[in-house]
Amino acid sequence: MKRNFFIAVSLATTTLFYSLPANAADRTIIQNKGSDTLVNVAQAWAEAYRDVDADIAVAVSGGGSGTGIAAMINGTVDIANTSRKMKSKEVKMAKGKGQHPFEHVVGYDALAVFIHNDNPIKSLSFEQLKSIFGRGGKATKWSDIGINVPGCKSDKIVVVSRQNNSGTYAYFKKAALGKKGKFRQGTLDMHGSKDVVDLVEKTPCAIGYSGLAYATDHIKMTCIAKQNGGECVNPSVETASDHSYPIARPLFMYTNGEPKGAVKTYLDWIKSDAGQCILMKKGYAPSRDVSCG
Amino acid sequence: MFAESSLNVRNKRIQNLFRILFLIMTILLIIPVVAILATLIAKGGSIISIDFLFTHPTNGMTAGGIFPALLGTVWIVAVALLASVPLGVAAAIYLNEYAGDNWFTRIIQLAIINLAGVPSIVHALFGVGAFVIFFGFGTSILAAGLTLAIMTLPVVIVSTRESLRAVPQAFREACWNMGATRWQTIRRVVLPNAVSGILTGVILEVSRTAGETAPIMFTGAVFFLPFLPQGVFDQTMALSLHLFVIATQVPGVPENLPFGVALVLIAMVLLMNSISIAFRMYLRGKKKW
Repeated sequence: MKRNFFIAVSLATTTLFYSLPANAADRTIIQNKGSDTLVNVAQAWAEAYRDVDADIAVAVSGGGSGTGIAAMINGTVDIANTSRKMKSKEVKMAKGKGQHPFEHVVGYDALAVFIHNDNPIKSLSFEQLKSIFGRGGKATKWSDIGINVPGCKSDKIVVVSRQNNSGTYAYFKKAALGKKGKFRQGTLDMHGSKDVVDLVEKTPCAIGYSGLAYATDHIKMTCIAKQNGGECVNPSVETASDHSYPIARPLFMYTNGEPKGAVKTYLDWIKSDAGQCILMKKGYAPSRDVSCG
Repeated sequence: MFAESSLNVRNKRIQNLFRILFLIMTILLIIPVVAILATLIAKGGSIISIDFLFTHPTNGMTAGGIFPALLGTVWIVAVALLASVPLGVAAAIYLNEYAGDNWFTRIIQLAIINLAGVPSIVHALFGVGAFVIFFGFGTSILAAGLTLAIMTLPVVIVSTRESLRAVPQAFREACWNMGATRWQTIRRVVLPNAVSGILTGVILEVSRTAGETAPIMFTGAVFFLPFLPQGVFDQTMALSLHLFVIATQVPGVPENLPFGVALVLIAMVLLMNSISIAFRMYLRGKKKW
């Protein structure tokens, strides 16, 4: 009785595992880790690549640009995704460990400034962004920039930012607050691009920044002007592609040295029209002109 | 005859008051459980189907099924159980049946208690250091399973010891008096009588293991993998991490999807628990004391 039970269990497990399509022996696994901005594109690429070459499996993990770069330095990934350039200090550390980071630009990302749907703001200038997000900035209430947000009774601006190992954090700081600029204290630091959008979507008083790809129908993006009263540009794949939108950044993949073998074929495919069209569909701008069917 | 004094009446009233108070507290306990299950079924029930359980996620993980994550969790739990149950039960048997009460066993006792108090994220980092890097398993099912095994060892050891202790000392003495060795006594008398309690420990472990996220996200589970794991050295997706990912990282996920995943995770734990509980009751029915 007892023995039958165990036989049944082991039979069931074995059947389960062996009935799976198995050609494991000759499968190459590419380790791909890093930026939360890129993680969903990376996932889409990995998913689509299954149909291109079934012998190559791409394992995707997120964690942030910093996580990807750390893994590159430690040599535990084949491709590190980052939404910022590696710093010279990081490259030096990698070289010290025998890694030679090799940079690939795989697309562009527009950082949109998100506000609640009830917020009447149309456009913001860099100066206004600085006064809202920057340390020592004057705007702490919506009325300070002449806005009355229905549903925001306290009138206080809730500033939503990102954790400081995020590439999005680093890029927005540099682009909107200037090289020496710092974020104001007391920001709400979220641990993912989507968290920022989710929070702003539900909070009338909030303002935050995140990748354009994370936009939903339930949230508004502001038009960004370089000068006060100047002409503003709406974030979109097109304005990021033609570089007219001022807060757009390149997205990188790093390999150890020039890519070879399976990693090279995969990266070539990512840069091909097929790969770039998947990136566009996810809301990012392609690294070059492509035609998608 | 014995007329109730006012003191009696008062005491009785207080006694009733506390009885009702504790009853209310007990009933309150059920509310979260029922509320969680009801929410999950109401919001996620619509997505559950055989297809959902046995197909790959598609369209950037916003559609399709959860098979790789489901299978990954089964793999990780299996590795964790295979590692921690023999180790934990053996340690418990030694501590309860062989070891005397001396400084050595007391240190071990202390170590077990401390191990139980270590937060799961610390176990995760230990797992990275020990299994992923030092033993060179890489981020893999094996590393994740072993990390979880270490984390759940205290549960197995403590509950096994409790159930061994529940076997009356007289049983052992009777057996020894028949000339049986310690091992024969353990094998034939103690273990058969303790097995239902040991199973309880295993049940607790399974429930905890299947739901853990932090220890596996550094040691073996990935955001996305387009293939099913083929062995213990592969990485894998896992239900708990998948739930975290689609709830917080992926834009455009339909609302019923995360709830559906949560429902599957809970159903999986409940199913395993009920099987073990049924088995336990069957064994207990055979008990002769």
